[in-house]
Parts: sequence; structure tokens; C-alpha cells
Amino acid sequence: MAGSTGFAPTADRLPDRRRPLPTRIRTAVLPVYTGLVVMYLFLPIVVMAVFGFNDIQGRFNFTWQGFTLEHWANLFNRYPALNQSLFNSLTVAVISTLVATTFGTLIGLALTRYEFRGRGPLNLLIFLPIATPEIVLGASLLALFVSAGVSRDLTTITIAHIMFNISFVVVTVRARIAGFDRALEEAAMDLGADELTTFRKVTFPLIFPGILAAGLLAFALSIDDFVITQFTAGQTTTFPLWVYGASRIGVPPQVNVMGTLIFLIALVGIVLWVAFQRRDMTARPTTLER
Amino acid sequence: MITRRSLNPFAVVALVGALVLSACGISPEGSGEASTDPGTSQDPGASTGTDPGGEAVGGGEPEDSLNFANWPLYIDQDDDGNPVTIQDFEEATEIDVTYTESIEDNTSFFGTIQPALAGGEDTGYDIIVVTDWMIGNLARLGYLEKIDVERDIPNFVANADPVYLERSYDPGNQYSVPYQSGITGIAYNPELVDEEITSMAQLLDPELIEKYCGQIGMFIEMRDSMSFAMIHNGVNPSEATLEDAEAAQQTLLEQAPCVRGYYGNEYADDLANGSLAITMAWSGDVFQLQFDNPDLQFVVPEEGAILWTDNMAIPKGAEHPNAALAMMDYLYDPEVAAQVAEWVNYITPVPGAQEIILGHADDAAAEGDTETEEYLRAVAESPLVFPTQEMLDRLYSYKVLDEEEERQWNELFQEVVQG
Amino acid sequence: MTEWLRHHRGLIPYLFLVPGGLWLIAFFVLPLLTAVSVALQEGSLGTGYRLTFNFGIFPEAIARWDDQLVRSLQYGLIVTALTMLIGYPMAYTIAFRGGRYKNILLLFVIMPFFTSFIIRTISWKFILADQGFFLGTLKDIGILDQGFRLLATPVAVISGITYNFLPFVVLPLYVALERINPKLIEAAEDLYASRTQAFLRVTLPLSISGVFAGSLLSFIPAVGDYLNAELLGSRNTTMIGNVIQRLYLVNNDYPQASALSLILMLGILVSVFLYRRLLRGQELTI
Repeated sequence: MAGSTGFAPTADRLPDRRRPLPTRIRTAVLPVYTGLVVMYLFLPIVVMAVFGFNDIQGRFNFTWQGFTLEHWANLFNRYPALNQSLFNSLTVAVISTLVATTFGTLIGLALTRYEFRGRGPLNLLIFLPIATPEIVLGASLLALFVSAGVSRDLTTITIAHIMFNISFVVVTVRARIAGFDRALEEAAMDLGADELTTFRKVTFPLIFPGILAAGLLAFALSIDDFVITQFTAGQTTTFPLWVYGASRIGVPPQVNVMGTLIFLIALVGIVLWVAFQRRDMTARPTTLER
Repeated sequence: MITRRSLNPFAVVALVGALVLSACGISPEGSGEASTDPGTSQDPGASTGTDPGGEAVGGGEPEDSLNFANWPLYIDQDDDGNPVTIQDFEEATEIDVTYTESIEDNTSFFGTIQPALAGGEDTGYDIIVVTDWMIGNLARLGYLEKIDVERDIPNFVANADPVYLERSYDPGNQYSVPYQSGITGIAYNPELVDEEITSMAQLLDPELIEKYCGQIGMFIEMRDSMSFAMIHNGVNPSEATLEDAEAAQQTLLEQAPCVRGYYGNEYADDLANGSLAITMAWSGDVFQLQFDNPDLQFVVPEEGAILWTDNMAIPKGAEHPNAALAMMDYLYDPEVAAQVAEWVNYITPVPGAQEIILGHADDAAAEGDTETEEYLRAVAESPLVFPTQEMLDRLYSYKVLDEEEERQWNELFQEVVQG
Repeated sequence: MTEWLRHHRGLIPYLFLVPGGLWLIAFFVLPLLTAVSVALQEGSLGTGYRLTFNFGIFPEAIARWDDQLVRSLQYGLIVTALTMLIGYPMAYTIAFRGGRYKNILLLFVIMPFFTSFIIRTISWKFILADQGFFLGTLKDIGILDQGFRLLATPVAVISGITYNFLPFVVLPLYVALERINPKLIEAAEDLYASRTQAFLRVTLPLSISGVFAGSLLSFIPAVGDYLNAELLGSRNTTMIGNVIQRLYLVNNDYPQASALSLILMLGILVSVFLYRRLLRGQELTI
């Protein structure tokens, strides 16, 4: 809209070659800053990845002693307990994600599309777990399990994970469902579809990205959870718990390798998802603005 | 303002839940088969309390399998992480062993098996390895099976060092036999410390540590640090009273501003990377660290230090007690003990192992493998692995605390570590 | 079934709410109530606990651990301020200058968090080590004093917590900023507002919901954090989370631990409430 009011365009709307240097520097500040922050965010990841290749002689992995692929090679042989813990983490994450996403989406649908009593207390109920520090959540669950004489194991961990994930799913999904244009549903029904079909063919596919995002968030939260898990795990180990235990002795390079691997898998998944999204631009919800 | 509107279903359920719960408490431990009178205070160093379930287990054919819980890095491993001695045992006896390194800490491990024991159920483990004071606690609570060492662990009777036959926490070995021992002493880095460390005061006296402020390490394990302070104050830790504990707390509080941290096993990292100048340490760790950094020194201070013993015991209700006893007996064979000691580098209860390790060193020399020969000789000759009598005379044991004492000492110590 | 549903349309929302709602009640509300109950009990693991309605535990716990409570609040506030200062420009850049790369940049922000929290914190311990790669080199060159230390200081702990919660701040800020129609900013500038003025009077107020959400998502977990203090800190940086953890898992002092947990939660809720009031007040003056 340069020049629409009749005044001369301001300096940063000029095409590049005509912009004075000070302006160019000023404009570059924010992107450079962002780049620096991204580097800061990645620093520990890089360190972790690099030391997965360290050829250590003894127990200690803090000085560089040479390059080796050995830890990548015997990743799953060296520490059976590590494998078990990873398996436990994945199991809990998958189950808790599926259950919490289902429950949470249902609540999200109810909250945004229906009238009912008790909306206020329900909102409080959803918000409070997010507002409660993990240590309080974990410790109270421990108090409950101990009082009830329930022994702590994989089941109790899963129960806990489902609990905290529900809130996050609701919050994530709610925004997406709220932004959904009801006119589309009405159009479908005008064309003869009943409610269930409308839901299946119109509503659900359009809110699916939100559900997917919520599911991914829940999965990430569950896989990485430490505090709540520490309180509700009993003898079972999950990946973060194993790493914590190992850190007391000396973190083996296999942990670095596993962390790097998880990171790479997530990276690949995201790259694929972005590529998929690019193709699928038309699937965005229709709001006429922008 | 509570209106009819806000009294919705959720609130009602919550209120009902609250009322139901107010009736609940947490059931006491030890309320399983064998309960003890919680009111009695323990006579320090006395025999371990009540005698429930008097019959010793064992005396039968070993079962087909065995569940063995141990601390990490506490048995010899090959390069792939397989526990060699366990595998040898499996081959020799055809007993299938599930070996888990699930013990990180005595208290938290106890926390994980306590519910089963309190409920009179099988913990899932046949052998557990816990430190001497925990043996005392478990025995007192009736959570351990009695054993008959004469009948079922003849190798122990034949080969163990006599000092292990009358330990205060389990006199007569009614419940346990030692696995490995170790010394909690002082380690220091001569690159950072220009004098020789010989006394507790050089670790605990605020004036003496002033110049190393921020590079002092202590242990987060209450018994270790409190015992050290007591030794510094001239008290035998295994006979300490509450007043002694309070004095120890004072000592530790005065030292606290210069302490870099209260560590678990990870002190070894900070000692190795130069963050710590003087620290409490375990003999086995320092022995291993000395291979990377031969300058590191380990000292048993002149006032004394702690000799702790990790022991094997059979939890109550274990499914395979005979197999457990067979394993214990196997580990007391001097050849096996030597094999374990060569890797673990802590103090083996079998003095005969020393000869055997020297023998292995000679074999290695004959094969021209000087690296292994040097290593084995270092193990056999190190006072950290085979302590001299003079060192042993200076070493004390932890006190076996009863529940009230433990609570009091924990409270005192919490102020030291958390303020 | 669709017939039945159509007849009982009013019930549908309740049916949807039941699974999640019951779960939360059973495993969130009930545990909190249990914590209240346990806090009011007295006894020990050996003798058992009895509900004695010992309300005195609350003032006792506060008095005993006041330093740690205050410190946790302090650290929480500092972390929130830092994450906001670092995160806002970043979210702004992504939202307004990101163009086609918006999503990718956002993913860059989240990606480090696909590795375990513990591994990241341990990596920081390594990076900040006294004689490690960074500090060691600087000390050798002479820029830093040999006695200089980052680990086992409040700086390390706060940095660790800030690092861990930065994405939680950037994301809601981004969402709020992205919704702002850039034409509003243009309009402000057309009306003679300088860039700064346009930011302060148009962008910032419009993004306030993001600021609110982001600051909560960093403040709340920061106050209750204990891992960073444990791995990167020392005795003098003990936070209330460390105390609660030790009381539960080492001392087995369940009543005091539960009481402190509840006090912590209450403190946070009060802070959030006050904060919300504060921001509401701001909105009104614009």
C-alpha cells in the first residue's frame, strides 16, 4: 500500500538496492537475532550429538578422546536396561497419546460447540493441571497411590501421563475447533447429510490438523516427562529416568547417541510433514480474511 | 458465592471424594506378616531385633531360575556389557539368572520393594545387595529371610575374612553375607592442593578449607557425611547419640558455605574434571580414576574413616531361595571372587583372591601382556582393594538407626544440604 | 443410535465430557484432595499416619522453608522476564518477517525439545563446566579468572530453566502476533506513528493474550522446577521443588511434603490471579 495516502514511501519499503545501508543493517537486526537464538537453542543438541562419537577409554565422557562409530554400532547391545527403558517410554507415550487425544478432543468439541451447565468449573478443571507444577502433580499422585495401596509401575505412569496430557490436548484442539466455520457444516446438511456423516466427512477432516498437533504435543510431553514419572514409576524405568540414573555414574555415550537418534527421527518426521503441508495448502480452514 | 448453578456434578463428586479420603490414612510399613513394636528404640550395635519367621530358608535343591538385583557396575562385565561371572554361574549350574542393576540408592530401592514386603508378597527378587545399615533395618522389620551359612554357604565359612563374621549390623550372619566392601575416605587432586592431606580437619574445618572454597565435595548420603563429621569430632559413629548428631550437624553447617556440592556417585566426574580439589570419595572409584589420572590421591584420615559393606540378602517371600544361596556360595569361591575383584576394584571379602590375582598377573607376564600384568598387579597390591590391617583398624562402621533416629538425623541433615 | 442421539441432543456434551472429565477428577482432583488429607496427618512410615487435622503444618512449613519459597518465586520471575525478553523479538520476527519460512522457523524453535530434558540439562552442565571447552579456553587465554565459576551458582540454574522454557513462551506469542492484521500497523504508521510507537500502542497490546499465556507457561513450571537446581546448582540455590522431593523420597515426611506442595500451588494460583488482574487493568487504559 505504499503511497496510497499520497506521502512518499518510508525507507524500508523501498526495493533493496535503493535502501540506505543503515536501514539495511537495522532491518537485518531481527533476523540475525533470531539466528543467534536458534543457535543458542541448538547448542546443547550439537554438544550431545558430537559426544556420541567420542572414543572414551574409561567412564567419563567429557574430554574428546577420538572419533568412533562404535557407540552407534552397539547402541542396542550395550545396555539392556536402556533398551527396556526406551521401550517403556514409547509404550507409555503411545497409549497416553491415543487416550488423552481422544478424551481431550471430545472435551474440546463439547466446549466449543455445545451449551451445557458447569462450563466455568470445567474450564478450571482443564486449566488447573497446566497451572500446577509437575512436582505437585507427581507428588499428589504418589500420595494417592500410596494411600490406596496401589503399587507403582508402568500402569501408574500411564495413568499419570494421560492425566496431564488431557489438558494440553484440550487447549490445543480448542483453538482449532473454534476457528472452524460452521457454515460448512450447515452447507453439508443442507445438501442432505445427517449429523454423523457431516461430522465424518466435513468436520473431522478439517479439524484433524489440530487433533494431530495436539497428539504430537502429547506424545512429546509424555516421552520426555521426568518429574511426574519419577514419582509414579516405582521400580520401572523410562528413558528419562534411566538417563538420570546414569548421570549419577557417568552418562554412557549410548545415551548421547539415542538422544541424537530421537532428534533425527523427529527432524525427518517434521520435514516430511512440512513437505506434506505445502502440497496440501487447500486444506486450510476457510476464513475469508488473509 | 455458591449458587445452585455452581454446585455442579464435578463439585459434588469432589466433595464426596474428600470425605471418603479423610477417613484414609497411609498404612504403616511392616504391617505384613512380621510386625515389630514401633515404640522400641534400638540399642546401638545390638543384635537386630525381633526374630520373626525363625526358620532359615535353604537346604534344598536350587530352583531353575534366579532374580538378582544389584548396583550398577558392581560385577565384572565384558565389552558388550554382559555380566561374565553371572554367565559363568549359569553355565556351571544351569540356573537361569535375571540380573538387573536396579539399585541406585538404598533408600529409594527400599521404597520400591517396601509395598510388596509390607503386603507379605514376593518382591520379585531373590538376592538384593544393600548396604549394612539397610540390612539392619530390613532385618529389624522382618523383611529378610533367615539363612544358615554353615549349611548352605560353606565357601563363605571357609574363605571369608574373619572380620566379616561378627559385624554389628548382622552378627552371626543370620540374614546376609558381604558382597563387596569399600572405604569412604578423602580424595584430593594434588594439582589443585599443594599440601598433603592427612586429617579430617583438612576437609571439614572452615579455616583450613578457606583457600579451597567452592572446590570441596561432600556426600549427599546422610550417613556418610554425618559420620565423617562425628569422626572429626572424636566420636565413634556407630555409637553416636542424638547430641553427637547435633554436634555433627553444626560442624557440617559451618563447613557448608565452602562446599561445592553434596554428591552421589557423580562426584567422580567433578573430581576428574578439576572442579573439586578435596572431596569425600569411595575407594573403588578413586582406584579406577587413578588409571586416568595417577596423581589423584586417596587417604584414610588419621582420625578414621568409614568401612561400609554391601551385603547379599534374600528378601522375605523370595521364590528361589536355594538358587540364591547357591549364587552366594559361588561368589565366595576364591577364583570367582578374584574375577569379580579384578573388575569391580572394591574390597572383596575373600582375602584368598589376592594370591589368585597375583597368579593371573604372572600368567599375563608369561604371555607378554604387560598391560594386563601391570593392571592386575596394581589391583593386587593396592591398599584400596586389599587394605592393610593398620587401615582397617582406623575404620568405623555406620550406625544402625532405628526409625525415630533416622527421622531425626534426616531432619538435621536436610538443613545442611538444603538450608 | 443417531435417532437416540437426536432425541437426547442435550446429553451429547455431557457424554463427550465424561471420559476426560472423570479421568481428571480421579487423577487430578482426588490426588490433590489426598494431598490435603495427607498434609493434615501425623505419624511416620513405621507407626502409620493418622488424620489429626494438623493445620499447624502449613505455617510451620512456610516458616521452615521461607528462604526456598522466596527464592523459587524470585527465580520464577527472573526466568519469566528473561524468556519474554529473549522470546518476544523472536516470535515477532517469525510472525511478521517469516514469510514462507514461518513454519520452518517455528519448528527450529521446538526441535531441540525432541531430545530428553535431562540430556539437554546434562549437556549444559558440560558446556558450563569450570574447565570445560568454553570456560576452560577463556581461562587459559586469560579473559576469565581461574576461580570463576558458572556451575553451582544461581546464574547456571536460572539459565538452565530459561533455556528449557523458552519455546513455551515463543509459541503462544507467535500465535497471538500472527493473528494481528499487518494493515493495522500500517494504518498507525500512516497516521504519523513512529515504528516504536506503532509497536507499543498497536502490536504489543494486541499481543497481550500471547504475553499472558507465554509468561504463565514459563513462570509456573519455573517456580516448581528442581532438576536444574539439582544438576546445575548448589546448596544456595535450593528451590522449593528440591525440598519437596527430598521430603517425599528421602525423609518420607509425607505430611510436610504434601503441605509444601499445596502451599506452592496456592502461591502460584495467587500470582496468576494477581497477574491477570494487572493485565486486565492495562487493557482498559488503551
